[in-house]
Amino acid sequence: MQLPSVLLENAVNEFARLPGIGKKTALRLVLHLLKQDATDVQQFGAAITKMRTEIKFCRRCHNVADTDLCTICASASRKQNMICVVESLRDVIAIETTQQYNGIYHVLGGVISPLDGIGPDQLNIEPFLQRVQKEQPEEIIFALNPTIQGDTTIYYIQKKLTPAVVRITTIARGIAFGGELEYADEMTLARSLANRLPVENYVANR
Amino acid sequence: MQVQNRPHLLHLNSISLLQFKNYLQSDFQFRQRIVGISGKNGIGKTNLLDAIYYCCFTKSYFTKSDAQNVSDGKQGFRLEGNFHLNNTPQAVTCVLRETGKKELALNQELYVKFSDHIGKFPCIMIAPDDVQIITGGSEERRQFLDTLLSQIDHDYLLQLIHYNKVLLQRNALLKSFAESRRVDENLLQVLNEQLARPGAVLFEKRRVFLQEFIVLVRKFYQQISGENYPVHLEYISQLHSSSFKELFDSFHEKDLALQRTGGGVHRDDIAISLGNASFKAIASQGQRKSMLFALKLSAFEVLKNRNGFSPILLLDDIFEKLDETRMDNLLNWVCRENNGQIFITDTHPERIHQHLGNFNSVQFIVLS
Ligand SMILES: Nc1ncnc2c1ncn2[C@@H]1O[C@H](COP(=O)(O)OP(=O)(O)O)[C@@H](O)[C@H]1O
Ligand SMILES: [Mg+2]
Ligand SMILES: [Zn+2]
Repeated sequence: MQLPSVLLENAVNEFARLPGIGKKTALRLVLHLLKQDATDVQQFGAAITKMRTEIKFCRRCHNVADTDLCTICASASRKQNMICVVESLRDVIAIETTQQYNGIYHVLGGVISPLDGIGPDQLNIEPFLQRVQKEQPEEIIFALNPTIQGDTTIYYIQKKLTPAVVRITTIARGIAFGGELEYADEMTLARSLANRLPVENYVANR
Repeated sequence: MQVQNRPHLLHLNSISLLQFKNYLQSDFQFRQRIVGISGKNGIGKTNLLDAIYYCCFTKSYFTKSDAQNVSDGKQGFRLEGNFHLNNTPQAVTCVLRETGKKELALNQELYVKFSDHIGKFPCIMIAPDDVQIITGGSEERRQFLDTLLSQIDHDYLLQLIHYNKVLLQRNALLKSFAESRRVDENLLQVLNEQLARPGAVLFEKRRVFLQEFIVLVRKFYQQISGENYPVHLEYISQLHSSSFKELFDSFHEKDLALQRTGGGVHRDDIAISLGNASFKAIASQGQRKSMLFALKLSAFEVLKNRNGFSPILLLDDIFEKLDETRMDNLLNWVCRENNGQIFITDTHPERIHQHLGNFNSVQFIVLS
């Protein structure tokens, strides 16, 4: 692609680094921005920069937050004794979208996968174990993707939790099988949250 | 009794190849039940059979990576096989995109999981190098067994995929222990349990299946070889004498040292013996070939009984492999006593005419 300006080229290259954006799309987006008012584009850039530099991660659940504690953890109307364990922020967003869940979260930041070089130490597992110790929740719900790595993570955490302290369940994952959590439609996800199973049962059924 | 008059239920009517190996763009029509393909060495006979195999298994019989199936200097390939199954047209489309992404469709509907395709279009290939199944390492025999069982038992395939994925994870974990010089026994135990679950299922399915299969192989071996030597086949598995838990315990130190999993059904084998000796050690060339055909035709029989119709049989260069009498016995069996579609390749058009000329429903294709 031959571009008449280095400035233009830099911008196109930056856009093209985003997932799902090729060079052509990047050029289209940049040309679009070029047609806008300079102040509008200024705002656009500033919002992105501000988002990245000022965003925090909740010290309790590792969700994104504007302050030390995320809005979910800080909300008085959420059940503080029910923790849903998820892989990523995207899963928090997917579950929140169903409006069917009224507890709080814990974001692991991934799942255990030795093949990808990800062990328990690379994830928010130890903070989670400490959190459970301290908060003594009544129920822990695992909402991880139905993969071998998801299973490994559930069993591992379960082994590390002092037995019989809490109710440990997992969303009925057979329903979402084949699709990842974020792609499961809202109804399916809502239903599988409602029909969660004790982890022991889930294991036996496999 | 074989039903000879009934039309065969699985038939490949045509195949189109685009940028698949040496075929830049070719179409073949198969109008008959028996198809004899001839042409000089290197012309693409094996590749054509492989394209048919690909449509049935979503992978090549010969190459390990899809990139190797793309015509040199091209990007991506496309195969379309137009089958008839129980008198219903079925179009199988396999596409490797330029990006390396693979797509598989049945009647224009994309599969989400390729494993759902396996077994729908049963197929058996017999190729020159297959004698490896007899003479090679245990991996060859496991692969033969897995390919067969996967076609008749979908759950077997799923358990196998699952087992192999966990095995990779466990080996990677052992490697990471060595690198960090720290062993997380909890995590290892989790993976042990995850491996044991599909592993136990695979062991039981193999055990039950092989009991009957071994009897069948011995019967075929005697028929093909015409001899009465005591051939034996035996399912070898560590699981006969130990549970997975016991295996993991006894291999614990060794696994950590070698960074690889020593115990499990990925070490299974089928031991073949002649009298008291190992078959591969003392069998003659002819006996090896007879054993290979016995294994393959037993697989054919299993698929046929399971599905109620014969699988497609792909015989590559078999005239090179058997002497005249054995060859004619075999052709009689596959062409006359069975009602499935058969593809046979040979370098010599005359020889293929001579051997197939006596049968009905034969089509000859000469590649040039
Ligand atoms: N990816 C590929 N691209 C182009 N040609 C290929 C490719 N793979 C194999 N071939 C060619 O195909 C030919 C072999 O075809 P093959 O089917 O084995 O012949 P035969 O008729 O002897 O069975 C060889 O000439 C080989 O170079
Ligand atoms: Mg060949
Ligand atoms: Zn929070």
